[in-house]
Amino acid sequence: MQFQKKHCVAMLLAGGQGSRLMVLTENTAKPAVPFGGKYRIIDFPLSNCVNSKIDTVGILTQYQPLELNEYIGNGQPWGLNSSHGGVQVLPPYAKSKNSEWYKGTANAIYQNIGFIDRYSPDNVLILSGDHIYKMDYAKMLRFHENNDSDCTIAVRDVPLAEASRFGIMNTRDDGSIYEFEEKPKHPKSTNASMGIYVFKWSVLKKFLEDDEADSKSENDFGKNIIPNMLTDKQKLYAFNFEGYWKDVGTISSLWEANMDLLGKHPAFNIYGTVGHKIYARNTAMPSSFIARSAEIHESFIAEGCEVSGLVDHSILSTGCIIGKGTEIKDSVIMPNVVVENGAQIHCAIIAEGCRIKAGARIGAEPNGERKIAVIGKDKEISEGAVIEAGAIV
Amino acid sequence: MDTMGIIFSNIYDNNMGELTTDRTSASIPFGSRYRQIDFILSNMANSRIQNIGIITKYNYQSLMDHLGNCQEWDLRMGDGVRFLPPYATGHTGAYRGKLEALQTALPVLDRSESDYVVLADTTVLCTIDFNLVLESHIASGCDVTVVAKAGKADGARKCPLAVKLADDGRIADLAVDYCAPADYLVGMSMFIIRRDLLMRTIRELVPHGKYHFEREFLLPQYNEGKLKINVYSFHNVALFNESVLEYYNNSMALLNEDVRHSLFRSEIPIYTKVRDAVPTLFGQKGQAPNCLIADGCHLFGFAENSVIFREVEIDEDAEVRESIIMQGSRIGAGAKLRCVILDKNVVIKPGTQLLGSPDHPLVINKGAII
Repeated sequence: MQFQKKHCVAMLLAGGQGSRLMVLTENTAKPAVPFGGKYRIIDFPLSNCVNSKIDTVGILTQYQPLELNEYIGNGQPWGLNSSHGGVQVLPPYAKSKNSEWYKGTANAIYQNIGFIDRYSPDNVLILSGDHIYKMDYAKMLRFHENNDSDCTIAVRDVPLAEASRFGIMNTRDDGSIYEFEEKPKHPKSTNASMGIYVFKWSVLKKFLEDDEADSKSENDFGKNIIPNMLTDKQKLYAFNFEGYWKDVGTISSLWEANMDLLGKHPAFNIYGTVGHKIYARNTAMPSSFIARSAEIHESFIAEGCEVSGLVDHSILSTGCIIGKGTEIKDSVIMPNVVVENGAQIHCAIIAEGCRIKAGARIGAEPNGERKIAVIGKDKEISEGAVIEAGAIV
Repeated sequence: MDTMGIIFSNIYDNNMGELTTDRTSASIPFGSRYRQIDFILSNMANSRIQNIGIITKYNYQSLMDHLGNCQEWDLRMGDGVRFLPPYATGHTGAYRGKLEALQTALPVLDRSESDYVVLADTTVLCTIDFNLVLESHIASGCDVTVVAKAGKADGARKCPLAVKLADDGRIADLAVDYCAPADYLVGMSMFIIRRDLLMRTIRELVPHGKYHFEREFLLPQYNEGKLKINVYSFHNVALFNESVLEYYNNSMALLNEDVRHSLFRSEIPIYTKVRDAVPTLFGQKGQAPNCLIADGCHLFGFAENSVIFREVEIDEDAEVRESIIMQGSRIGAGAKLRCVILDKNVVIKPGTQLLGSPDHPLVINKGAII
């Protein structure tokens, strides 16, 4: 088969276990974790690709890939079901020699050099599967090409006090990077890497091959490839991104990002017209029914819900049934959860398919420090049970 | 047993007033997110009927747009699902009845290898398994099976087809366009017939000036003893949208849990076009007691006893009661609506008051600004 040459191929790193999300990623890859009522985390980078006119995306999976594979399917919900490119799920595979799991982010790309080479792309865009944001990658690509850059790294400005938690890019006035510091004790600047890279494919390929030959390398973009490129005096640039961006790798950041959708002027504006929408695989559910006994304030309600209780400042995902006399506050209720009559949920994340039986109480209204209770997928909380604030079940 | 489907997309257009000004009855929005055709098309898809002809007359642009390539129904437009525009006769493309309309389906019927054909309209909304109807049809040994519903006839409503069953289940009376008394079953405009018999019927009757399926085929041939008819009595919820008032009342009926749960069952879903809308946002003071509400809405005001479609905005202090608000309509701050049907993309300016009555809901045309 003859492959069309592509200007840019995107590679989405979706293989991490996401252990900091605890029970939420026990049986689910992090990118497949539900978000915002009807989405999954991976919908954001995928939709960004499509909206940026990138039509060839490789998704690197290895941890609990079943649900993610099923969700991606043929890529049709994102318009990535084209015969010239489209979306490909790329798990590690057995080769005639050196078969192995993905050892690191760079190794995952290294093992798929063959996939990328089919499209002879000028550039490769490396993305993470655990960020919530809307970004026009085409802008970043133009910046990358205008600077004749070998590697362009998206950065955002973080408060100086927080800079020591991030990988910091120290740049010259023209945006070129002279130094990269991973979690510096005394940060020199506030340009935090977002883990989004554009590489000239010819350059990246060489560095991946050299990195693979180095037995001491951790085969990681941040730890190995970027420092090696700097040492080797390649042209690296920082691309400033100013919109909303959140790494949802922890329970509290996942909760916060969900809450950022709420309100008349939300912190994260998810709305968009065609070409700026976030796409998701849709379920064929009817509209939601709001009963006479329901009271809803400042919340997101997705399709297929039946609501008879109080829902305040919360996200209700597709297919949830909320009984009478219930109280749901400051919580994220993932798809197909049943909350029986009289149950109370405060400051919690309830994963898909849970059943919270009558009168159960989960979490508590924050008293000083906010502690988020988490109930893992398909759990049943028995009648009248009490789950403390911050508990992980 | 292989079965194909034929859907008549606009048989009752004339009764639906402004709702069919620029659409077929098949594409009338219903149930907060669907078009009427979604129900019959999903029923066919869920019954594994994949070869479907959709007979159209005019105004089917919005229908084509809605169905797209039919992937939401797991069907394939062009290979399986086909639009069948009017058969060009030289002077007029319009047809007067189902029999005549079926002429346009002759080539498709001829090419098909199916043994049976399901014929259906888009105006009777239900969730039905055609495999069960087919089993009943085959077991009966009859020529035609009529799907009918008890409890709908009231002596006042004119039924396109009414049938009375004797105690032994045999037909005691069959009538067309009849204000049938309550002990009659009302035809749901769904039929099963052998493909070869249907083709023979079209080829025989239409050239002799006959065009009405029920009046000029079923009734006379049954009366003459030439046609054996089986009645499949349907026991779940069936909503007949044959007038604007019925449409309004049936929409309100969706607020009843039993009706909803009979129509919408997760194992046999009703599919519709995907819109990729964001979940509905309720504001601090947004309330919607006893409402069916789709995704993509912004609710800052108050709605009660209403059916609200996708991407509707209801601003602060607006009050919507006993109304149907179709996709993309915006209701300005402080506006008050009762017993109103807002077609798509209507803009109600702040403070406006519109009042219909439950027996005569006020219909506002698509795109109007009031």
